[in-house]
Amino acid sequence: MGSIRIQRVSVEYPVEGRGMLRILNDIDLEIESGAFVSIVGQTGCGKSTLLRLILGEESPSGGQVLVDGKVRSQPGPYCGYVPQKYSLFPDKTVLDNIVFGLDVSSGGPLSSLHPARRKRMRIFREDGLRYLHHVGLNEADARKYPHQLSGGMQQRVALAQALILKPPVLLMDEAFSALDPGTRSGMQRLIKKLWRESGTTIVFVTHNTREAVCLGTRVIALAKDISGERGSSVALDLSVPHLDFDSGEEDLRCLIQDLESATLPLPQDASRPSETKPASVYN
Amino acid sequence: MSFLRIHAQPSRTTSWILSWFLFAAGITAYFYVSAERHRDNPDDRVMPTIGQMVQGFQEAALKPAEEEEVQDGAAARGWVARVRSSMLWKDTTATSRRFLISVALLFPAVLLGLHMAMFPYIGAFFLRFFQFFDKIVALSLLPIIFIAFGIDELSKIMLIVIGVTPTIILDTFNLSKSVPREQIVKAFTLGAGDFAITYRIIFKQIFPRVLNSIRLNLKAVMLFLFAGEMIASTDGLAYRIALLRRHMGMDTIIPYVLWVALLLFLVDLGMNLLNRKLHPWFQET
Repeated sequence: MGSIRIQRVSVEYPVEGRGMLRILNDIDLEIESGAFVSIVGQTGCGKSTLLRLILGEESPSGGQVLVDGKVRSQPGPYCGYVPQKYSLFPDKTVLDNIVFGLDVSSGGPLSSLHPARRKRMRIFREDGLRYLHHVGLNEADARKYPHQLSGGMQQRVALAQALILKPPVLLMDEAFSALDPGTRSGMQRLIKKLWRESGTTIVFVTHNTREAVCLGTRVIALAKDISGERGSSVALDLSVPHLDFDSGEEDLRCLIQDLESATLPLPQDASRPSETKPASVYN
Repeated sequence: MSFLRIHAQPSRTTSWILSWFLFAAGITAYFYVSAERHRDNPDDRVMPTIGQMVQGFQEAALKPAEEEEVQDGAAARGWVARVRSSMLWKDTTATSRRFLISVALLFPAVLLGLHMAMFPYIGAFFLRFFQFFDKIVALSLLPIIFIAFGIDELSKIMLIVIGVTPTIILDTFNLSKSVPREQIVKAFTLGAGDFAITYRIIFKQIFPRVLNSIRLNLKAVMLFLFAGEMIASTDGLAYRIALLRRHMGMDTIIPYVLWVALLLFLVDLGMNLLNRKLHPWFQET
């Protein structure tokens, strides 16, 4: 559970007066179950598009995306999702946000009118409180509305909201980008801890190379070609086993340098072959 | 001129005085001009004095409507019975009934706008039609409405429906579309289906804004209602104003106009308070 197969995927959008604009070009990736994959690249290189393909929110122009061996035509509970903004429903309290998934997936369209709902909700709320503690928040926060929380707290709730359903795959789209460095660092430790505990496959999109390296067991760099006609492709695919936040600066520096040069736009007609290096070459 | 700067911070008292100044100035100017006119012509009917207006309002509120048969013992039953058989009560209940039916008919319009935004086929079917329909001046349809629906209650309600519902439908459509896509994707990933997303995510999020939109359109509802009542009605606040205009009954017309404004203000205030009570998370009210 939680494997992702991206087979020769291309994405093109029609642009008025310019024909088709290619965003992704011939992406071929296999993400094994339980991996923590960071996808890094410059703004506009198609990282979020790749995530939307995995979600089933978008269909590729060519190739196919399989999650657990199936092509998905719309987002569903097989994938948790934590975007940068608008993670939480503003009309619901923190606790109601967390248990929304449990509530809505436990019955049919009219489940909220079912007489047994009250009993069911009591059980869900107990579960929700456990997850709230798990992400470092307390009961006093449970009754607050999202606008009463800081950005970091909102993302903690969004994580609890997604993880309570125990999805095989968790997709995070620049989830910590809007946070200040201190909060961001705390969130990075939290997500790594939650990943180790849950064994969920995590695909983490970021433009921060250091974050990508510290979090992922595998880092994939996307780079667009300089002409903007061929779309982005995989420029680097690195296995990074268990580099942690406490790793020495030297360990990180080489990796980050490589990644940053990999994410620079590719010159026209110069295709950079995808390469897979073991992390040991940096040690 | 520091008080004209963007960063100027009027004190609480200054703000209070400024906010009431135009009311006080308007009232003072009216009574000054009214007094001047009455000094020149004691029978002036254009600008009644405050005494004349109070008397006019008392008569409207406590005396039976001229078309109402005076019931035996009504006066003896006390002021409640007198108010209930009065011209003002009769007119207010007639207008309120039409107003409430019209506002109630706006809720199906809200649901249609919501479904147009959420379901592309429904949107494609209705959107262009309502975008065109919204541009039709409802009052220009008045003769057609009277011919098609007669001059009874239905035509007045239809005038409001035609005049206001396209705006509410399009407004709800736009509000629903403005909910970030991430919210819908997120709800799908949490196991919600189309029905749950439409009603438990989008509708709940836009409802306070829809209520505000309806509040902003209350004046339009009243405008169309008054147009209908003035042209074809035998009761209602607008009917009375139109009737009194023939007799230059300004001593009753002005209190009636203020009464209508007060009622509308109270409805608006009530909806605002209800909105805050029902949606404590909502920040715009």
